[in-house]
Amino acid sequence: MQRRNFVKLAAGAAAVQGFPAIGFAQQGDAFRIGALTPITGAGSPYGPGMQQAIRLAVDEINAAGGAGGRKLELFTEDSQTKPDAAVLAAKKLIEVNKVQAVLGTWASGVSLAVLPLTEAAGIIEMNVSGAPTISTLDTKDLVWRFQATNDRFGAAFAEICAKRGFKRPATMAFNNASGLGNVEGFTRVWTQRGGKVAAHVTYEPNRPSYRSELQKILAAKPDVIVMGSYLPDTTIILREWFQSGAENKWIIPGWAANPDLVKALGAEVCEGIISVDTVSNEKSASFAHFDAAYTKATGKPASTNVYAAMAYDMVVSLGLAMELAGPGASVAQVNAKLRDVANPPGTAVFTFAEGKALLAKKGKVNYEGASGKLDFDKYGDVTPDFGVYVIEKGQLVRRDVVSI
Amino acid sequence: MTWIDLANLLVNGLMEGLVVALPALAMTLVMGVNRFPQAATGDFMTLGAYAAVGCQVLLAMPLWAAALAGAVATAAVSALSYQLIFRKLAGRPMVASMLAAIGLGFLLRSLIAFFAGHDQRTFDMPLVRAWNWGGLRVLPTDLVIAGIALACLLAVFVLLYRTSFGRQLRAVADSADLARASGIRARGLMLALWLLVGAIAAIGGVLLGMKAVVMPEMGWEFLIPAFAAMVLGGIGSPVGAVLGALLLCVAQELSVPLFGPSYKLVLSFAVLALVLLLRPAGIMGRIQLVR
Amino acid sequence: MVAYLSAIGIVALIYALLALGLNLQFGLTRLVNFGVVAFFALGAYTSGLLSLQGVPLAACFVAAALLSALLALPIGLLSLRLRDDYLAIVTLGFSEAVRITIQQEEWLTKGVQGLPGLPRLFAGWGSPAADLAIFALLAAVVALVVAGTVRLARSPFGRLLRAIGDDEAALSALGKDPAWFKVQIFMLGAALFGLAGAFYAHFITFITPDQFIPLVTFYVWMGLVMGGTGSVRGALLGSVLLMVFLEGSRFVKDWVPGVSEVGMASLRLAAVGLALILVTLYRPHGIFGGRQP
Repeated sequence: MQRRNFVKLAAGAAAVQGFPAIGFAQQGDAFRIGALTPITGAGSPYGPGMQQAIRLAVDEINAAGGAGGRKLELFTEDSQTKPDAAVLAAKKLIEVNKVQAVLGTWASGVSLAVLPLTEAAGIIEMNVSGAPTISTLDTKDLVWRFQATNDRFGAAFAEICAKRGFKRPATMAFNNASGLGNVEGFTRVWTQRGGKVAAHVTYEPNRPSYRSELQKILAAKPDVIVMGSYLPDTTIILREWFQSGAENKWIIPGWAANPDLVKALGAEVCEGIISVDTVSNEKSASFAHFDAAYTKATGKPASTNVYAAMAYDMVVSLGLAMELAGPGASVAQVNAKLRDVANPPGTAVFTFAEGKALLAKKGKVNYEGASGKLDFDKYGDVTPDFGVYVIEKGQLVRRDVVSI
Repeated sequence: MTWIDLANLLVNGLMEGLVVALPALAMTLVMGVNRFPQAATGDFMTLGAYAAVGCQVLLAMPLWAAALAGAVATAAVSALSYQLIFRKLAGRPMVASMLAAIGLGFLLRSLIAFFAGHDQRTFDMPLVRAWNWGGLRVLPTDLVIAGIALACLLAVFVLLYRTSFGRQLRAVADSADLARASGIRARGLMLALWLLVGAIAAIGGVLLGMKAVVMPEMGWEFLIPAFAAMVLGGIGSPVGAVLGALLLCVAQELSVPLFGPSYKLVLSFAVLALVLLLRPAGIMGRIQLVR
Repeated sequence: MVAYLSAIGIVALIYALLALGLNLQFGLTRLVNFGVVAFFALGAYTSGLLSLQGVPLAACFVAAALLSALLALPIGLLSLRLRDDYLAIVTLGFSEAVRITIQQEEWLTKGVQGLPGLPRLFAGWGSPAADLAIFALLAAVVALVVAGTVRLARSPFGRLLRAIGDDEAALSALGKDPAWFKVQIFMLGAALFGLAGAFYAHFITFITPDQFIPLVTFYVWMGLVMGGTGSVRGALLGSVLLMVFLEGSRFVKDWVPGVSEVGMASLRLAAVGLALILVTLYRPHGIFGGRQP
């Protein structure tokens, strides 16, 4: 008796929630895209912007007459930056909205939890996550990563270290997959080159002080400290470092060493910090085109959210692949064309309209995106360039670009 | 591991211990009088820190004034929460008060995050290099923090042991019935206690924010260490709470070379469990019953 | 659509299993366990790790329940020596200790990288058949637990348990030893938590330590308290309400334009806190009635 009531209640409650969604799921000739970005949770600084960027691209493509003879239809959900919430959201997108592609998953945990679902459904997944495992789990080549893996970041750190002549690096890693991934990538490449890492420490999040961890690192007298870190812990560590009077340099990921860090600590403490991030194609026409639209829509420049540019590129590359695959193409057929439109050889194009026009003339396109040149390797991962910025007098100045 | 390294760890531990001492003291006062663990103490710390940041940023107050304003605001919230919530739960089993306190903590934390955002905030403070005696490093900022913590603790002790308010409070802690029988008016006393407890927690939060950064989660992280310190020092003993905090934090720092930094919290928990099993009264405890 | 509804149903039933376990521990014997998520985590990781070694899923699930029960033994013994509030904080600390240990011992658990690619139940059946099957299986398990709990409450053993909750001193005076019974119930509850953890792990297929935070414990408490502690119906209703609340907020943005999504997560947590306070204050019997906490 109790169970029957319960089941009725559960089904009833769930069905009621399903109603609005049913209204939106239209059948017909549209290609349905699901945007699953972190609107809330740890990724909330980036999720809303990513969703907005996807919407911009969808509107742009539809205004240009659609892709492959079809309009794009967009459904959005919040992953909450949590795997369990993301699974339910993905199920809604896949089962209720019947999307043919899930775009924009940010946290590695979210992508890893959503992958099996999209793979089982045979649809495309595009993410900006860092965990290397994503590449190995992608057995059907349906997953496309628009951000450098944690590992690649670490390798870039090693390249930069060597280029700048450092000899005794020490490493500090935030205790999560991303922080550890960065540092492990660095250590692997550095030791392969014959170098040694003087000291390493993995530290816990949310601690008020990292004196003992810093002490251990400084005892090894490094000339540079390489970090896999985030903003709050970087702030605390740098403050304590400065007050300790040590003289080493710092290589820090761009999401931690940014204008907010300078704001928190002041220009003197941050002087000379090397900040590394994947370089958006800032000089390219595609970035300018995206930046204009993004700034108009959100009031903030695209440089404030590097993931937004990636999300935009996801839709554009998808659109170009649909165009190349032709009208009525299946998801698998569209998927097969992604490398053809994004990788060389081909004529460089910087917007969807340009690409569509060239494809109409049977030309070969190579989309250079707003977030990078978008050349996918065999795993479907991009191989971006890395910008080396140095904080000088409180400003981030790009001093170098590194390719690996 | 040289003597200097050990000495540095000791100094780190003492500094952190002084900051933990404040919420531990707040918890032990409430525990002794109201007889339940005030699980929202950490979030009162967070509230105090945010109130102070707000005053510094929005009203351009100097740090000391902002901190005081933060303490006042938190004291008010604390007294209000007693009046509206905990006073009504007084006759009920302890679990009710604990659950309500946890709920209050969630509410405060999420409202702070909603209005102030999840981004970190820092206090506007000058950065000064450490004094370095042959490798032993002491940060002047830490000394200021330690000084404020000690002053705060001293003030509370004077209040508890040298005023009639303190006497009455200790009487109520010993036996509420007897206190009532001798004419002590509990209601005003309670409100005064909760005002005090809120202020103490707020100062702790500001000090923590000075040392680290101000974020919505900052206080919640301190709940278990503060509780462990309180139990270690003996429930209901203010001196015990402070001693317990110092001992616990020093032990945590000294454990780092052995177990690594990640197991510090586990050490707090282990200490807690051991003390409750072996010597429930703690170091200076008066309340003997754990059962 | 069916697969989506089944998915929601599955998560609701997992919470129901947790609530039923907590109902045994607190509703029947008044043991205050703020460390529910520790056993949930243990069950998830036990089952996950074993399944990655090729052990058949049924065995993994059993192992998950058994290991959780085993881990509950020392905590149960500890609970004999401790008063409510101490037990609460100790179990809270215990759950954090378990989480940190899982996170640090990466040689065993892969640490912060987590365990991806866990096998699903009924893997070959395809969606939505597989989801329906999992839902049905879970529903059967929950039904069994419900039936078992009701019988337990009505048996002499159960009446003894309810007596413990009410007046332990009287019971000791009568010469009956409640200690071992309490521990057994604690272990039984923990076994349910572990089983729920195994279902969770093989549904989400990817687990990391930071999914097992104290907030999960308090969601379960909230569900139980709202539904009425000490009542099986209450535990079930509470989990459904909890699920509606947690999933329902996803749809708020569809119905109420203008609500900022970024603020939603904070408001959700605020609502949990407020609900805990209000229910404790004004509806100590929960919604269905039962014994007040």
